[in-house]
Amino acid sequence: MEQNKEMTAQQSLSLITETLNNSRRDILRGNSKYFILWGIILTLLSLLIYVCWHFTGKASWNFLWFSMPLIGYPLAAILGKKDQGMPKSELGRMTGGVWTVFGAFSICLSLIAVFAVPMHLTLLIVVILGLAESVSGVLLKNWPIIIAGFILGVGGAVMAMLIKSEAQLLLFTLGGILLAITGLIVKFQYK
Amino acid sequence: MFPKLDPLLHSELRLAVMSILAGVEEADFTYLKKQTGATSGNLSVQIDKLTTAGYITVEKGFKGKMPRTACRITPAGRKAFCRYVEALKEYLSAGK
Repeated sequence: MEQNKEMTAQQSLSLITETLNNSRRDILRGNSKYFILWGIILTLLSLLIYVCWHFTGKASWNFLWFSMPLIGYPLAAILGKKDQGMPKSELGRMTGGVWTVFGAFSICLSLIAVFAVPMHLTLLIVVILGLAESVSGVLLKNWPIIIAGFILGVGGAVMAMLIKSEAQLLLFTLGGILLAITGLIVKFQYK
Repeated sequence: MFPKLDPLLHSELRLAVMSILAGVEEADFTYLKKQTGATSGNLSVQIDKLTTAGYITVEKGFKGKMPRTACRITPAGRKAFCRYVEALKEYLSAGK
């Protein structure tokens, strides 16, 4: 790229559009790996708890959910180190904020449900999980993420009321798979 | 009468730098170099010109042990960039 090249108005506008699109593509592609990471962790952990609960009959395996942030955040931090040199964006900060809020809500609701006021945790978490994914989709202007979040939140809420005990965990497995798939869609869409 | 195009922005490399910075909060020198395909020397010179004009700010520091140069667009830079884009649109619509 040269600094003194004479450009027509059309060339200048094309350059601006192309450059803005390239930055946006980089940001979206950078975000996709977090969807994949949390999707894989959610899938594996929900399956593990399901299997343990199913074969031992003990619901106390649900305490393993508290290991999710302990596993996820360090891995996310490692992935974040690879982002060095990537531009910081309002978009990335807002998407990160949505998932931080989701994490805080999930942990607080789980603690309250376990130690203070019993509540239908699967229903609550699956709704806010779907909501967080849909809001991320809105921020990223990405329809697959919006739709996947909607299916997960609304469909998951209905299913949470219809299915009982450990089978409810499979909703989170489905949620994890949807998260990972949406991450892969974004990754390849903006390759 | 057409508005005059800002000569500082009407240069391929400086315009590319401003376009990148207009879409993000902050970008590293290495990212700008990669995106524009410019040489370090050339990019440094153009960044200096944009900084002197008050269109961008440059913050030098370290991330861990690695030196890091972070560039941000200023409100004045954003305003100039918007004016430039509007002027371009006027040129193009007049040409139709």
